[in-house]
Amino acid sequence: MPKIETDLLVIGGGATGVGVAWDAALRGFRTVLVEKRDLTHGTTGRYHGLLHSGGRYVVKDPHSAEECIRENRILRKTHAHCIEDTGGFFVVTPEDVNAYPDQFQAACKNLGIPCEEISLRAALQREPLMNPRAARVFVVPDGAADSFQATHSTAQAAQIAGAQILNYHEVVALIPAEGDPARVVGARVRDVARGEDVEIRAALTINAAGAWAGVIARTAGVTVNVIPGKGTMLAANHRLINTVLNRCKMPDDGDIIVPIHTVTVIGTTDEKVQDPEHLTIEPWEVELLLREGDKLIPGISQARFVRAWAGVRPLYQEHYAGASRDATRDFVVLDHAARDGVAGLLTIIGGKWTTFRLMAEKTVDKACEQLGARKPCSTAETPVPGVEHGHYWLGHRLREVEQNHLQSELVCECELVTRAMLENAARNNPTLTLDDLRRDVRLGMGPCQGGFCTYRAAGILHELQVQNSQSKIQDPNTWHVADLQSPARNAKLEIGNWKLGVGTPNLLLRDFLQERWKGLLPILWGRQLKQERLDELIYLALMNADHLPDEDAVSPMSDFYSRRGISTTADTEARDA
Amino acid sequence: MHTTSWHSVSMTLDECIKCNICTSYCPVAAVTDKFPGPKYAGPQAQRFRESGQITSPDVWVDYCSACRVCNEVCPSGVKIAEINARAKAQIVHERGIPLRNWFFGRNEILGRIGNLAPQIANLGFHNPVSRLMAEKILGVARHAPIPHWSTEGNFRAWFARREKLRAEKKVAYFHGCSTNYYEPAVGKAAVAVLEHLGYEVVLPPQNCCALPMLNNGEFPAAEKLFRSNLKKLAPYVDRGLPIVGTSTSCVLVLREEATEMLDLENAQTQALKAGMWDISEWLRERLEQGELPTDFRELQMVVPYHVSCQARAHRMGRPGLDVLMLIPGLDVREGNAKCCGLAGTYGYKAEKYDIAMQVGEDAFRFVRAQGEGVRYVTADSEICRWQLEHGTQKLGRHPVEILAAAYGLYDLDRRQLLAEMK
Amino acid sequence: MLDLIVIGAGLSGMLAAHTAARAGARVAIVSKGLGALHWSAGTIDALGYFPDEKTPVSSPLAALPMLAPNHPYTLCDAPAAWREFAALTHACGLPYAGANADANLWLPSPAGAARPTWLAPRAQLAGDLARAEPMLIVGVRGMRDFFPELIAENLRKQNHAARAAFVPLEVITARHDSNSVQLAHALDDPARQLKLARELKKIVQRGERIGLPAILGLDNHPNAFQTLEAETGAAIFEIPTLPPSVPGIRLNDALRRELHRLGVRVDVNMDVRGFHADGARIAFVESETSGQPLKHRAEKFLLATGGILGGGIQSDPTGKTWEAVFDLPLTIAPNRGDWFRARFFDPAGHPIFRGGVAVNRVFQPVNAHGAPVYANLWAAGGVLAHADPILERSLEGVAIATGVAAGKFASQA
Repeated sequence: MPKIETDLLVIGGGATGVGVAWDAALRGFRTVLVEKRDLTHGTTGRYHGLLHSGGRYVVKDPHSAEECIRENRILRKTHAHCIEDTGGFFVVTPEDVNAYPDQFQAACKNLGIPCEEISLRAALQREPLMNPRAARVFVVPDGAADSFQATHSTAQAAQIAGAQILNYHEVVALIPAEGDPARVVGARVRDVARGEDVEIRAALTINAAGAWAGVIARTAGVTVNVIPGKGTMLAANHRLINTVLNRCKMPDDGDIIVPIHTVTVIGTTDEKVQDPEHLTIEPWEVELLLREGDKLIPGISQARFVRAWAGVRPLYQEHYAGASRDATRDFVVLDHAARDGVAGLLTIIGGKWTTFRLMAEKTVDKACEQLGARKPCSTAETPVPGVEHGHYWLGHRLREVEQNHLQSELVCECELVTRAMLENAARNNPTLTLDDLRRDVRLGMGPCQGGFCTYRAAGILHELQVQNSQSKIQDPNTWHVADLQSPARNAKLEIGNWKLGVGTPNLLLRDFLQERWKGLLPILWGRQLKQERLDELIYLALMNADHLPDEDAVSPMSDFYSRRGISTTADTEARDA
Repeated sequence: MHTTSWHSVSMTLDECIKCNICTSYCPVAAVTDKFPGPKYAGPQAQRFRESGQITSPDVWVDYCSACRVCNEVCPSGVKIAEINARAKAQIVHERGIPLRNWFFGRNEILGRIGNLAPQIANLGFHNPVSRLMAEKILGVARHAPIPHWSTEGNFRAWFARREKLRAEKKVAYFHGCSTNYYEPAVGKAAVAVLEHLGYEVVLPPQNCCALPMLNNGEFPAAEKLFRSNLKKLAPYVDRGLPIVGTSTSCVLVLREEATEMLDLENAQTQALKAGMWDISEWLRERLEQGELPTDFRELQMVVPYHVSCQARAHRMGRPGLDVLMLIPGLDVREGNAKCCGLAGTYGYKAEKYDIAMQVGEDAFRFVRAQGEGVRYVTADSEICRWQLEHGTQKLGRHPVEILAAAYGLYDLDRRQLLAEMK
Repeated sequence: MLDLIVIGAGLSGMLAAHTAARAGARVAIVSKGLGALHWSAGTIDALGYFPDEKTPVSSPLAALPMLAPNHPYTLCDAPAAWREFAALTHACGLPYAGANADANLWLPSPAGAARPTWLAPRAQLAGDLARAEPMLIVGVRGMRDFFPELIAENLRKQNHAARAAFVPLEVITARHDSNSVQLAHALDDPARQLKLARELKKIVQRGERIGLPAILGLDNHPNAFQTLEAETGAAIFEIPTLPPSVPGIRLNDALRRELHRLGVRVDVNMDVRGFHADGARIAFVESETSGQPLKHRAEKFLLATGGILGGGIQSDPTGKTWEAVFDLPLTIAPNRGDWFRARFFDPAGHPIFRGGVAVNRVFQPVNAHGAPVYANLWAAGGVLAHADPILERSLEGVAIATGVAAGKFASQA
């Protein structure tokens, strides 16, 4: 079994884990991060993309709110290119007229969250589809954040600082020290793509597995009661608004609408679930989000929706048994030596995307303490690669495609993904599925949901495979993972080594269509249903893709795509009969 | 210029299923790489545009000719051409309007100025030197078929001085700028035909329909013109008087395009939509009501009929054809070319002239294929007639002129009412 | 006054109009836009698979009697309609043919799967996977909708001899944009046809047949095809591409020319949104225009608006579904949970797509009691219930069979 020795082993490739790896590597620790799937595959990649100003928690959880505004300001500098500066409104809809708005305003002032009340007229001029019956509107510095790009950029920063990032490496168990079961000395992990185990020995292991943190801790005999709070979101086909809209009231279901990239996301529900792995989107959630969405944007329920998905918040409150909506959004670093008598293991749990950097800082502070090192945190002053491009804006891909005449290079026409973007992403990242490339470059995230690009992407990756395409690995200091987002910069790049992990193009195609299908099921009606039928025509009638060779081949993700949360009554009846 | 309401044409981007039928039929994308096609520039690019954006992310939408073939073939109801028009307007809003396009938008003023001394104006403008200068300085294509000012006075002046038929049944006539300043004969033929049906023709005050401004993205100015027409026509609409127009593109703008592009839908615009007619469409309606006289003379000739893209954009079928087919002896041949290429002011622009001529080739070929003996070619839009004359050297006539001739009221060749020739 | 108005200009609508016009009726077509031919392979798929059965159908003729009793095929003489269609394609210069036996023809799909079809245009026939000659699959570098390596590898996996090659885009066009229709337009030019042929001749080996993306010309397609075969000395076949479909557009154009010849007017961009009935008879339908709605009067009406894809059947988030023009009763379950299965590729298909308008033996839409809803209304194509033509690979077969049948019944009534 291959062995790796390191100072810190970080478990979990979400925003928090990657943030920890970045921070630790900057402080000079030898650091290895393992993630069982692709980076951001978990909660980080399944959130609505709101960069909090803190306004949302200002009354209910002032401590969290204060952290939010501080981190908001920092991330705008360190991760500028991962943020769209949309600004946010807190809207007092006719349902929300009570004492709350005044409390809200006062609390914002208290905590130093910029909050300006504007006239309804001015608000409607900026957002014409907003509820015209709103009583009051406050402007706050909310933003939209691309959590895929932010995590990838942070990961590259960590790599440049010396960290090793291992995707598709799943923890089998934490390893106890020989003769000392109360000390964790690393983990045995499975290299999912190669199907072999690797032993990673570390002075300190940091459990940043989010909603899966309890599962990891259990392998060392430690109990961490994560409260998995499932949040469901719906994406409308285009930008109905360009400012984040929040209801001005105590946080509740369906009260945020975020313009992120080309879509508008209504979020979220909040429901305690048992299993963070297989989440089901219930019809009532879709109905509730549409109904609540209508209060902020009357008519949004009639818009075209292209996708529904659910993420699970890794909420944590020691000895908590209430509803997940009311659990704190605060985070905590669990020192298992002090708490459970198990040394060599920390768990970072709770929090939210906006505070990931701070969570990492506190975690690595604790690590320093445990390892007896005195190394100050520098992440707040260290921009990640790509930051020089400034905040992203909605039109940048369109502009670049036009200026460089790349329209015939488009693989995903909906999201303007060129062939070079796809190839460079595939060469640069360990890629097991097309879904990995979706997170890299937004492949298949538009209205046709993979209808046209799945075939093209599978065909292109197959051509790379056949040609055994090898490009030179460029010095990570000369290119930035953020470049993957840019049609223009990609046209000039050729980076990385071809690393397609598994599978034939037929499997890539089948997996991705199934992965898209699960997100479509909850919202298939009207126009999106029509689109889906065209996609069926393409893959059944035209391609006969359901009768391609390698019918039995499976990827490490196949089961996940076909199982996750999509049991329909049609199925049950058919299988029962 | 972006989404402002749920009625906005921009919202129809949600109907798009990315099938690319529109791109397959786009006459402009078929001949140039400068326009990436309607799906690309329309519903696809629209997802990357936002209100309040600092600058428009794309400018190649400027190469959309607004012919609306995309709308026509779309199986899903995306208002592609209108989405493009709004994107163009956004660009103009940000960058200002080029002087040339500013002039194009004000063809009514040009019409009026030239009308003061048409011979001099024609001489001054329609000579190779001034056309070359106009191309070099302004970017107005030197070979493009710019119409001549009428040397017989404008249409309104003619109408004012003639003796009118007084009758119970009344119809209002919207002549548009081109009839008033360049082709009064079309208006005379229309009036003769309407009176032949026993209708008294009334002439509402009117101004430019705003099509050139809409086409060139000058939305605020276009809105002023449109609102002014709305106000001027309202009394006639309110009285239930049908308003007929001979310029099918003006009718399209007044009934629908202005409202949609400017996002102005209200009771007044709806009333105009219901109260206004393309003249052929209105005559077909009379035919269906059994009110159309059929005292036609025989017209022994072949006439190629180019169905203008603007006429097709009405979704009203082929009323011109339906009516002309009643004329004994007349062999009307319907073409299926998608667009003549000129498309409003598109083909007048130096950088687009070649594209327009290539687009028009299908229409020219169709006309030529109808034989040497063909003298006239007909189309509902003046723009198409001018382009067809330019591309085929045949004489362009409005269907109502042919109809007037068939009623024995009009000399097709000299474009004069027989009554006035005596 | 027209005898018959057909609503919808897809394959079923055009065949219905054609059948009625040939029978002497005065017919017109009104349609919102262009139909599914523009997305399809351009072949006539009759029946490839039974729902939930792994074994493909080898002979649609033999399989027809085994269909469920309410399947549209059981209401009409499908084989006769397909024969009529084949004869029609010969008459209009775009001949279609099938396998020699009464069996499905197996042709390579753009993914390299073997796809079962009944009739194919001449340009696709040499792709017959029952033939033994090895295949050279040639792509065009820079064309984003065709992947020869993928096709060749999958064909090899199915024990067909195949290899892949590319020709440069410049051989076909100097243009930058290169979708299938644009490339096909470029190959209408005889000079480019010759250029491509010479390029192919350099790479083809003796005994190989050449598979190309379906871009071999539009208006000048027969010439393009002949030039390539003559110059290369090899059998040539087209493989359909992602939409827009050049073979589909050729068929659409050929049928439109035929309808024009028969005096059938086709108005596209007319969205029929309303109608008026005097009792059980439809008096007129109304389409929206830039002005007042346009009334279309006829003795009879034929609904060929398609299913969910064509826009003939609409749906909303509450699980409501409705037929778009006449609000005819539908057989679709009212609960969205009952519409789908968990797997996209479930061999049983998704139940919603079997739903639609139920018709009687003469293709008149009927209510729950089996009585015609309107005395002068017929229906054909994708709007019909009790078949999922995309799942069964019967899309064009059903369109033709039901279009011909409904057109016949409507004109005879």
